[in-house]
Amino acid sequence: MRFFDPHIHMVSRTTDDYQNMAAAGIRAVIEPAFWMGQPRTNVGSFVDYFATLVGWERFRASQFGISHYCTIGVNSKEANNEGLAREALELLPLFALKEGVVAIGEIGYDEMTPAEEWVYQHQLQFAVDHDMVVMVHTPHRDKKNGVLRSIDVAREVGVPMEKLVIDHNNEETVQSVLDAGAWAAFTIYPNTKMGSERMVEVVRQYGPERIIVDSSADWGVSDPLSVPKTAHLMQERGIDPSAIELTCWQNALDAYAQSGQIDVEELLKEPVIDQSQRFSDNSVLRGQQPRIDEPVKN
Amino acid sequence: MTPMPRELLDTFLQQRLTNTASDFWQNARAELGSGVSRSRFSALIALASRHAKRHPVALSETEQAQLQEALPGLDMRAWNQLELLRVALVTARSDLESDAFAADFEAQFVYADEGETCALYRALPFLPGPERFVWRAGEGCRTNMLNVFSAIALDSPYPAAHFGDTAWNQLVMKALFLELPLWRIAELDSRLSAELTRMALDFAEERESAGRVLNPGLWLCMSPANKERLQPLVARHWEDAEPHQRCAMIMGLARAGEHTQVQHLAETESDIDVARAIDAALGGNFDQHTFAHLVVEENESQP
Repeated sequence: MRFFDPHIHMVSRTTDDYQNMAAAGIRAVIEPAFWMGQPRTNVGSFVDYFATLVGWERFRASQFGISHYCTIGVNSKEANNEGLAREALELLPLFALKEGVVAIGEIGYDEMTPAEEWVYQHQLQFAVDHDMVVMVHTPHRDKKNGVLRSIDVAREVGVPMEKLVIDHNNEETVQSVLDAGAWAAFTIYPNTKMGSERMVEVVRQYGPERIIVDSSADWGVSDPLSVPKTAHLMQERGIDPSAIELTCWQNALDAYAQSGQIDVEELLKEPVIDQSQRFSDNSVLRGQQPRIDEPVKN
Repeated sequence: MTPMPRELLDTFLQQRLTNTASDFWQNARAELGSGVSRSRFSALIALASRHAKRHPVALSETEQAQLQEALPGLDMRAWNQLELLRVALVTARSDLESDAFAADFEAQFVYADEGETCALYRALPFLPGPERFVWRAGEGCRTNMLNVFSAIALDSPYPAAHFGDTAWNQLVMKALFLELPLWRIAELDSRLSAELTRMALDFAEERESAGRVLNPGLWLCMSPANKERLQPLVARHWEDAEPHQRCAMIMGLARAGEHTQVQHLAETESDIDVARAIDAALGGNFDQHTFAHLVVEENESQP
């Protein structure tokens, strides 16, 4: 099986993760711009972070046969530092129109403050103006209300529902998202919140249409193999193979390919890792033999 | 009359772009020619990815010959069509000689993605006042992204023409370290030096200590300097070397002026390819192009 993890923060992960992900069949990832775990202190920090997402991290992923796309946006937590957030928003046109940037995101609410709302609206407008997909992060606290509000505001600004991906759903929010016509993504967290077992039941109950599985793996306790693990559990529990394909590959591709920033033909080619072609042993390989011509195992 | 390099970019593009991409290029060229803001310049370079793909440029022999005549040392074998379009966009500005352009060009590197970074560096040989960008090119060589480094170092006349000795030697040594095809560094032959040969010989000994194989490109760094260290190095590796490595060693010995040694090896050599290399060397042919022809295997491709 091949997998697409449409929400994972690879800058926080090691090359071991990349290796294991490729071995498990993950062929493509989307890395949304997000919070770095502690507050940023100046706009230069955003510049270098966004530049990393479209530069170094893209290169790093390519060394493991994984296609790396990203989203650009000012996240909800950092929206609350109003002065800095305004400066960061000025960077949007410089980064969001780049090759391989598949959405504005992850944006939305954290505490649902007026500052968050202003930054969210501003970015929704940017997405509408540039015909872009939007990836929405929904809050951990007061989630149900947050999901509804995220959808309402996006609709008011004029985001077409088929270009809206609402992430971090659970059993309580999924119906509202599907009813609105948006895509409903689920983050599989080990031990907490949404686990693979619950995900299987969601797919059983709601079917595979517009449902997307992701890992949101980052610098916290998280699992970059959540998507393949969930797929295998679905298989064990008798979920239809086509539903697994949709929720763990095709839906993410369909949602984000609307950006025009995924070369689908290129992505569908059999990936071959050739580290000797574009690899420096002063960067990620350190003296070991580069891997050549070993097709990614699926 | 020889066409200007920038006119050639347009000709090559017209042969390759789809109709809609061609419209984008024509409109952008007109816009750039009449003056744009820094952010619009940046946006046009970014938006090019919506119109051109990363397919190889693949010049015909005629086009290759035209390019060689217009801009000796430049080869587009590793260029893709998106890069070609982006380089054309950069050079479509009418103020290339101005300080404003230099500042705008430098600013692009701050916000450039991986593909744009390569294209920006590929533009260097096309820019007037090339000495203005020497720091930028040196900075680019500090990258850890191999495709970015290759875009500066390989198939381009820029480094040999403008780098000082320190930066030049670092470029060649880094290419060797990264196991890139050294024969694709333009004017490597004319900028060989005693210092570069010493650095390469030191590097070879480091590789020996680490028990790692020697890259054939090493032998392209040989010159008459330090030749007393060359013979023992060849002696240590000759027996176990593959034929293409032996060919490379022959080239290295010839470049160091060790023709007696080459003759000596000829007496016992039975491999046809190595024998061919020996003939070439003794006939005075051991430049980087001969090296490429004799040593580089069919399957050696480029990033």
